[in-house]
Amino acid sequence: MLTEVKNQLHVILLSVKYNIMREMTNRVTFLMNVSFMMLNNAAFIIQWMLLFRLKSDIGGYGLNDVMVLWGLSAGTFGLAHVFFHRAFSLPDLIIHGKLDSFLVQPKSVLLSVITSATSSSAIGDIIYGYMILTIFNFSFSNLLLFTLFIILGALILTAYAVIVGSLSFWILRSEMLSENLNNIMVNFQTYPDGIFKNVIRFLLYTLVPVGFVVYQPLKIILHFNLMACLGVLAFTIGICLLAFFVFYRGLRRYTSSSLMSARI
Amino acid sequence: MRKYLFICKATLMESLQYVMNIALGFISFFMMVFVFINLWNYIYSDPSKLISGYSRGQMIWYVILTEILWYGTRNRTLTVQISDDIKSGTIAYGLNKPYHYIVYIIAKHIGEIALKFVLFLGAGLVIGLIFVGPIRDFSPLRLPLILLSLLLGILINSFIRMAISVLSFWIEDCFPFHWIYDKLLILVGIMFPVEVFPQWAQPIIRCSPIYVVSYGPAKLVIDYNYSTALEILLAQLIYLAVSFILLMLFYQKGVKRVNVNGG
Repeated sequence: MLTEVKNQLHVILLSVKYNIMREMTNRVTFLMNVSFMMLNNAAFIIQWMLLFRLKSDIGGYGLNDVMVLWGLSAGTFGLAHVFFHRAFSLPDLIIHGKLDSFLVQPKSVLLSVITSATSSSAIGDIIYGYMILTIFNFSFSNLLLFTLFIILGALILTAYAVIVGSLSFWILRSEMLSENLNNIMVNFQTYPDGIFKNVIRFLLYTLVPVGFVVYQPLKIILHFNLMACLGVLAFTIGICLLAFFVFYRGLRRYTSSSLMSARI
Repeated sequence: MRKYLFICKATLMESLQYVMNIALGFISFFMMVFVFINLWNYIYSDPSKLISGYSRGQMIWYVILTEILWYGTRNRTLTVQISDDIKSGTIAYGLNKPYHYIVYIIAKHIGEIALKFVLFLGAGLVIGLIFVGPIRDFSPLRLPLILLSLLLGILINSFIRMAISVLSFWIEDCFPFHWIYDKLLILVGIMFPVEVFPQWAQPIIRCSPIYVVSYGPAKLVIDYNYSTALEILLAQLIYLAVSFILLMLFYQKGVKRVNVNGG
């Protein structure tokens, strides 16, 4: 069992390594994508500086806290898109019958699919996340917690994308729906939960689990709480298991389009 | 001109087949607007408070209108298609056809966004009326000027995006430039009216395309006065001419670099 997990992890790392090498074929474009993504994220600092000029606290947080929230969002998004970029375009593979080449591989189909592409600009997101932490709230313990939470957050984001993407096994043309649901996750991630009220706040910890991706981790980074930490970990395991279950349940309904394709 | 109208009409008819896809796009739009409604409600803890001269209702309506412009006019034709046509060499097929490639893209773009924009406008108005209530002091008599300003704003935005995409003649990936433009538009034009920015930044923003693309049309709806309307329309006309000339200049220069190698 342990050897199998080790082998699977090795395959994932190799897959990501080759994806990145492919992305780096054109160095200039690669570097531009990474640096422009960092600039893109940094632009939102202006938004928050303006908002904090109007009110000294927003949703119970100060500027530094919101920046760490942004760092967590960028980090989780970046890590998810570096390692599991294809999870976010799952409907396209399902609808157009592009899963065939993955079905014949000896390793996990789901993991092979989702690790088969990498977004180069997402590397910029990860770097930006760490830069933000360093500037706005650095300490060694925060660095460790930040790293832990961007890993867990990336897993939650990916699992969520797999679940909503797998809807395509049952619902025809659900591409837009899953894209929208993924966008909702990203949209809510960059605003503090304090501005939302009762029902919405409940939804952010259940149906759209942004709460476990960034809100709860931010609270733990600001005021450490072991139980809350274990809560995030338990949720991550739960949603990952659910993603596997939903994907393989849906895979039974998959029909090939006999599309001839090559994975390069 | 008739052929371009026909292209526009044909694309519009095609988009009618995908109304459901457009409707699903409302989810993202609604969520974004919803986040801003919550954000502004939080900042305006006292509903009678004015921020930079705007009431809570005006501020939320501003965001709704600029988001309508953003979501209702976004189109891959102006960005992805032009870049792909240039990079793949497909543009060569468009050069020997009896139309001008740039005008063809504009006609296609208008056909593609017409229905989408109207639907987003309707959805935005409903959301605004439910969450904020009617726009203060709004008069239907101003509609012709507002619609003209909206149309000019959409055209200027299209010309600028096309001019950026045409840069693909020289650089392989022009998307970083689209990102910058998008970010400028989102941060400076969509989220806040110009007056919220520090005094020193306001003249710079008023000279930028953001002023004519998103601030101008939205301002005329939420806080109309005759002199502002004239100022905005004049600025829009200048920007329309400048952006179109630049676009054509880039295209004429770039298209000479096309090198077709059979196949």
